[in-house]
Amino acid sequence: MKLELQGITKRFGSLVANDHIDLVVEPGQVHSLLGENGAGKSTLMNVLYGLYEPSEGRILVDGQPVSFSGPGDAMAAGIGMVHQHFMLVPVFTVAENVALGNEATKATGMLNLSQTRAKIKAISDQYGFDVDPDAIVEDLPVGVQQRVEIIKALVRDAEVLILDEPTAVLTPKETDELLAIMGQLKSDGKSIVFISHKLREVKQVSDLITVIRRGKVVGTADPDSSTTELASLMVGRAVSLTLDKAPAQPGEATFRITDLTVLAPNGQRVVDGISLEIRRGEILAVAGVQGNGQTELTEAVLGLQGHVSGSITLEGHELVGRSVKEIIRAGVGFVPEDRNVEGLVGPFSVAENLILNRYDQEPFAKGLGLKPAVIQQNAREKIAEFDVRTQSAQAAAGTLSGGNQQKVVMARELSRPLKLFIASQPTRGVDVGSIEFLHKRIVAERDGGTPVMIVSTELDEVLELADRIAVLYRGRLMGIVPGNTSRDVVGLMMAGMPAEEALGQEQEFGTEPGSGEL
Amino acid sequence: MSNEQKTERQLSRTAAHDEEVRLEAAAELGDGNQAPPAVPAGAQSGELQPGLRESQSLMQRIATGNALVAVLAVIMSLILGGLLIAITDERVAEAAGYFFARPGDMLSAAWTAASEAYLALFQGAVFNWEADTFAGMIYPLTQTLTVATPLICAGLGVALAFRAGLFNIGAQGQMIIGATLAAWVGFTWHLPVGLHLLLVIIAGIVGGAFWAGIVGLLKAKTGAHEVILTIMLNYVAINLVLYLLTTPAFQRPGSSNPISPQLDDTALYPLMFGDGFRLHWGFVVAIALTVLVSWLLNRSTIGFELRAVGANPTAARTAGISVTKGYVVVMVIAGALAGLAGVAQVAGTEHVLTAGVAASFGFDAITVALLGRSTPWGTFAAGLLFGAFRAGGVVMQTNTGTSIDIVLVVQSLIVLFIAAPPLVRSVFRLPAPGAVRKGPKARKNATAGGAA
Amino acid sequence: MKNSLRMTKRGTGLSAAVLASAALVLSGCGAPPEEGGSSAAPSAVDYTGCIVSDAGGFDDRSFNQSSYEGLKKAEEDLGIKTKEAESQAETDFGPNVDSMVQAGCDMVLTVGFLLGDVTKEAAKDNPDTNFAIVDYSDPEFSDNVKPIVYDTAQAAFMAGYAAAGMSQTGKVATYGGLNIPTVTIFMDGFADGVAYYNEQKGKNVELLGWNKESQNGTFNGGFDNQGKGKTDTQNFINEGADVIMPVAGPVGLGTLDAVIEANEGKPAEEQVKVVWVDSDGYETAGKAEEYILTSVMKLMGQAVEEVISTDVEGKFDSSPYVGTLENGGVALAPFHDFDSKVPADLKKELDEIKAGIISGDIKVESKASPK
Repeated sequence: MKLELQGITKRFGSLVANDHIDLVVEPGQVHSLLGENGAGKSTLMNVLYGLYEPSEGRILVDGQPVSFSGPGDAMAAGIGMVHQHFMLVPVFTVAENVALGNEATKATGMLNLSQTRAKIKAISDQYGFDVDPDAIVEDLPVGVQQRVEIIKALVRDAEVLILDEPTAVLTPKETDELLAIMGQLKSDGKSIVFISHKLREVKQVSDLITVIRRGKVVGTADPDSSTTELASLMVGRAVSLTLDKAPAQPGEATFRITDLTVLAPNGQRVVDGISLEIRRGEILAVAGVQGNGQTELTEAVLGLQGHVSGSITLEGHELVGRSVKEIIRAGVGFVPEDRNVEGLVGPFSVAENLILNRYDQEPFAKGLGLKPAVIQQNAREKIAEFDVRTQSAQAAAGTLSGGNQQKVVMARELSRPLKLFIASQPTRGVDVGSIEFLHKRIVAERDGGTPVMIVSTELDEVLELADRIAVLYRGRLMGIVPGNTSRDVVGLMMAGMPAEEALGQEQEFGTEPGSGEL
Repeated sequence: MSNEQKTERQLSRTAAHDEEVRLEAAAELGDGNQAPPAVPAGAQSGELQPGLRESQSLMQRIATGNALVAVLAVIMSLILGGLLIAITDERVAEAAGYFFARPGDMLSAAWTAASEAYLALFQGAVFNWEADTFAGMIYPLTQTLTVATPLICAGLGVALAFRAGLFNIGAQGQMIIGATLAAWVGFTWHLPVGLHLLLVIIAGIVGGAFWAGIVGLLKAKTGAHEVILTIMLNYVAINLVLYLLTTPAFQRPGSSNPISPQLDDTALYPLMFGDGFRLHWGFVVAIALTVLVSWLLNRSTIGFELRAVGANPTAARTAGISVTKGYVVVMVIAGALAGLAGVAQVAGTEHVLTAGVAASFGFDAITVALLGRSTPWGTFAAGLLFGAFRAGGVVMQTNTGTSIDIVLVVQSLIVLFIAAPPLVRSVFRLPAPGAVRKGPKARKNATAGGAA
Repeated sequence: MKNSLRMTKRGTGLSAAVLASAALVLSGCGAPPEEGGSSAAPSAVDYTGCIVSDAGGFDDRSFNQSSYEGLKKAEEDLGIKTKEAESQAETDFGPNVDSMVQAGCDMVLTVGFLLGDVTKEAAKDNPDTNFAIVDYSDPEFSDNVKPIVYDTAQAAFMAGYAAAGMSQTGKVATYGGLNIPTVTIFMDGFADGVAYYNEQKGKNVELLGWNKESQNGTFNGGFDNQGKGKTDTQNFINEGADVIMPVAGPVGLGTLDAVIEANEGKPAEEQVKVVWVDSDGYETAGKAEEYILTSVMKLMGQAVEEVISTDVEGKFDSSPYVGTLENGGVALAPFHDFDSKVPADLKKELDEIKAGIISGDIKVESKASPK
């Protein structure tokens, strides 16, 4: 099936999200859409999937104009979509989830699941999905859940599959498996629209790459283009993808975690007996697939977790049991993993967010009264220093782009003398241009002699920033390896293999070490 | 919870934002054409009760809505109220009986009925041009200010709590307890001028603050929801005062009617313009409170904390602000303000304690705060408007025989329209928020790139 | 019966008016009146009588309503003009009374003890206007205020006697809305009547729900919770009471509901009976008339009309009007359906009691009686 988008324009009020976009997806082709967050990729796909009605332009299937008034129409036309966030009912079985929306019924009106089950079996066998139709979805690993989504589309005879940032939630191994599946689907004649901002994957799997910036197609590229080329196209200017980082000059270890265990409210050990230390002037990156205890680890340091045992010391002072305020005052800078939920108060102005944890201290307050002039002055300085693009210091932080929001958080945390700096997902949802800047600031903080802990689920980021890498799996430390350890070894550790074993396996298969850059 | 589930939860946490962007975008489209969210919104929050977050943000959006919408809501309500006056008017009904024979009669009767009623309302609330003396002319205005006093005080309490993310339905109970304590001090103790009133005011503050403090404390310690707590404590308060009024300590000597003795003259707010007017210095207190709350919210560290807790409790907590302490503090202050509304009643206008001393001011205060978009001066203005409704309603009833229930209907309609901004917008063909100017929630859409 | 403390929302009157008007609009094909013709007859007298309700409103099926109806009757009979102000809350009392005085009323009638202070002050400030207040008396009233109060205990005494005489189970019951004098005066009289019956007949009919000595008993907590009235009544029936007097305004309708359920399928002699209060329940309650034995009537409308007509004639005086059996201000309603079932002896005894109370031979005492 050949899919064509002609002159698709989508406006939200005065905002043009898609500006006359043309796109042709040939049968049996993987067509990648590359663009920064907010470039308009998702909007375009939602138009294609019938979720949005285009303001202008038309969609053609095999040369015939079609119009979709909802996902149902799109599905009927042979278009299937796998959303970044799965549309699955966690407590249903795979078969029930697949049947949901076009349930086959028996004459009596009873649900006929056996038919669906058989179809799932067939598809699963054909592509080697290894999915049990009767498994409860919430018991399945994320990668398998994603396959269920793909099955959902295939059961409805999708000829074109839209995959929206499918690798964001996967381990490196699962990512490889997904890329393999995409290859199989392609050879089976299906077309795939692959949305991503990860250059490596895009290059690996695409037949054709269309780059979108600010709602417009800014060019197409073939997979042979260099990553630097692609990145420049994406951002609209030359960007440096490699970080110029001097070797670390570690000092004494001032931050120590000893035998730390954190219990979730349900009693589960989400952090399980972790011990590590960070030296001055060193970046320790904590790697791991999302949800393996990193969040709880960092929150425990800041005093946000309730059931903590073990010890966390900063320059010899115990942090466990102290309040968040005391820990912040003790010199801990903290960039939380989700700036919108934990890092910023959206309706507050940039100026207010810049003093969110120092509002009651000199020079910003005297007694009970705030000092607006000082707060404004501080905001002007930080906005200039961190190149925050905002209309004014009074603009609500929530109206800023992700990168600028992150700069506000970073500016706040890095503007006071720190004895420890912790940043979770420092560049998630941040445009490539800002990533460069933020990474430089983190390294600068390290070079100033602060112990730095970075938590990231992006392996690329971990490998780029880390002087040492600690890998967490199910709350346990798989080991700490040097910063130049190969991607594959870290990948194996992220999947639950202890460091020694992973390193051993590495040598056995003789993979090249040091493939750390991108 | 298996590790995979755990992973899912973590994912959903960040997922919620991208989801929000999509929802926001769909909302802007206005057609509601929207795929279901991947995860329930409640799942995004770690330690706050799931679900509550969502409802809280909705309440807050209603509580801090657009000023234009508030004004238009008032206008629409007045128009509908006018229609209702016309429909229920006897002359109109009579003329409607022969509508097809002479339609003009009914229309002019309807116009007369509604305009007369509203003129009387104005005459009773702002300026009486028919009065013989200047005092008589401005008397209605002073009445409005008098009625507005408790509304403003209690409204400030509700507004302040809104800003900290708490839906304080309990102003009524807080007012009653404040009034009870203040009245008791006023009629039981006999103290010199000045000191007596001061103690009455303090008693009112303590009573209201205590009653609301219970709510803050329970929410902070146990996570109980403040809406339920405040509603229940309203019942407790009204029944408590009913009970107290059956005890001799609160009754007049020799009488078993549930009405307290009159407060001593020394315990009363002095009248501002002498005996001819009911306006008392409590109104000046209300102005002072508005200034104070305005400062507190916008210029003090306490206000900073409260607003942060209200706008994003998780971020506040991460920044070292004690959310639980914030809940207690804001409820105590809100209760103190409601308590002062109670003082305005017993020491200002009523001079006695009865079970109905708070009238429905504690509930009207919620409307007042909503209409004032939870800003101190907005609340002040809304309090004046509602004071005018009440004061003018009395005259409207006497002079034109229009039922005072109309005022209640108009007030209720205002709430309804404020709670449904899209309705107001569609009636007046206003653009949806975010279409032209970005609302605060439409964050990622308004990125520097300008694309969604 | 006192109704001001109920916290209900009113507005049934308003919605009824909306419906009525809507009906008229729908059938808008009538003939128009002649142009220029005025149908309104000129008022017979230049006199304006005004009324201010308490927070219960004029549709409270209780004293606000009765007083209002009295005023309306005066308007009809005497040709006076009227104005009315309904209070939504206690805070409206002052402004309402003030605005009545401003509007030039000759007589301002207020309803209920909660308006006592306001009336007292307004009367002092406006010596040229006459005032009357229902259900409240105060020695400090100036001489332009006429209190209208009722010694309801007298009629309740008769009801208590009748109830005891009609009870098959030897148990009767009463409950109130709130423990306030205008309520407990009914209960005191009822209790005395029962006690008098026991004394005369050497019986031991028991009264549930009220203890005159301790002045305590069953109270509903207000005047609006019919469901609670129903449960309370069911409890009394379960305890064996077969005559019940609810003193709680509309809550009494809950009692009727409970009685209808309890009486289903029972033989006539075992059926539970109700003693209504304020008005003749047989005519006003709107349901279960066949179970209403009698009613303790407080004829407020009559008193209001009387006070106004005296004032119209220029013979106003400030001595309290006290409704008694003697002047017909309070009375026991006819038995209606029960007329044939009440023994002649009992009727005769009730007549004797009435005469005894009027003559003072029988003392009815209540803490709540007007002094």
